[in-house]
Amino acid sequence: MRMQRTRTDDSTFELNLAPMLDIIVSIVPMLLLSVVFVRITVVDTPVPQAVEQAVAAANEKNKDLVQVSMMVTKDRSVKITVVDRGQNKEFEVPGKLSASAADGKVVVDLEALYQKAVAIKREYPDVFRMEFNPDESLPLEDLVVVMDQVRKLKGNETKVQFTDVTSGKPIETDLMFPDVVFGNVAGG
Amino acid sequence: MSAYIERRSPSTFKIQITSMVDMFVILLVFLLKSYSTSPVNVTPSDDLTLPASTSIKDPTENLKLVVSKAGIFVEDQKILDLNDGQLDVAEVDASDTQFIRKLYEALDLQAKKSRDIASQNSELEFDGKVIMQADRSLPYEILRKVLYTSMLAGYSDVKIAVMLKE
Repeated sequence: MRMQRTRTDDSTFELNLAPMLDIIVSIVPMLLLSVVFVRITVVDTPVPQAVEQAVAAANEKNKDLVQVSMMVTKDRSVKITVVDRGQNKEFEVPGKLSASAADGKVVVDLEALYQKAVAIKREYPDVFRMEFNPDESLPLEDLVVVMDQVRKLKGNETKVQFTDVTSGKPIETDLMFPDVVFGNVAGG
Repeated sequence: MSAYIERRSPSTFKIQITSMVDMFVILLVFLLKSYSTSPVNVTPSDDLTLPASTSIKDPTENLKLVVSKAGIFVEDQKILDLNDGQLDVAEVDASDTQFIRKLYEALDLQAKKSRDIASQNSELEFDGKVIMQADRSLPYEILRKVLYTSMLAGYSDVKIAVMLKE
């Protein structure tokens, strides 16, 4: 019995983890230096180009174009204008008092803006471009929040269906107005 | 007696490193998961805090334009100073109040470089794309001037860098 136990002890061995530890100790500081806890993404904001303007003008001449533009004023009210084949439709979302700020700060009514954008999108499902004309005093933070509201449908909303121009097939999407263009960059 | 003690408790000993290796492997997996090769590098500072957005579009390798409260930078090179986000009136062109000449010259130089490279290499083309890292508190007034000037320099596709809002 004694002899058997000794033989079992001999068959076990210890793995030499020292080289592995060396490698890990070298890699960990390198990764710690390049670790990112905040993910950076981008928001597309092309500015109008002369060619695009010419195309838009030509389309407007044909009276077969729907243009959606959004203006955010100094008092945080949002005015959305839809030009549908030469006919103007205007919608207004007045600013509201911030719930968190005790000093009576007026902010953009984001929920009302979203509902209005959804209603416009359902009426014009194949329009993805929106011209954005914010007031000069607005900070970038507010602009990005407003652009976020009109970019995509929220998860619980039913998707918008539009017809693909090339194939003629119906396509479902949760995008509303992802193509936001700063319209008042070149004057206006 | 002394020989017996020496045999029983040798002066060398082995450290048990298995649990330490376990811990390091977990740490390594976590760090590898959060390892980033993003072309947009943001150095945290009081002058530059990016706005938060729900946009999930990943940035691509383009010209970097930084507009912080301290100044405007093109590819990490300071072009002009801003005084707490305010542009000096002398920096703006007298005939066109939206035009920032120094910024135009810097961007025009970059555009020429890109066009020269594109003319030598058929696989590359100048697409006029620029990633703008701007402080979230900056007013649209200054951003509009930057957008207008970059548009005149040929950079008409501006992408605003944002922090992903979870």
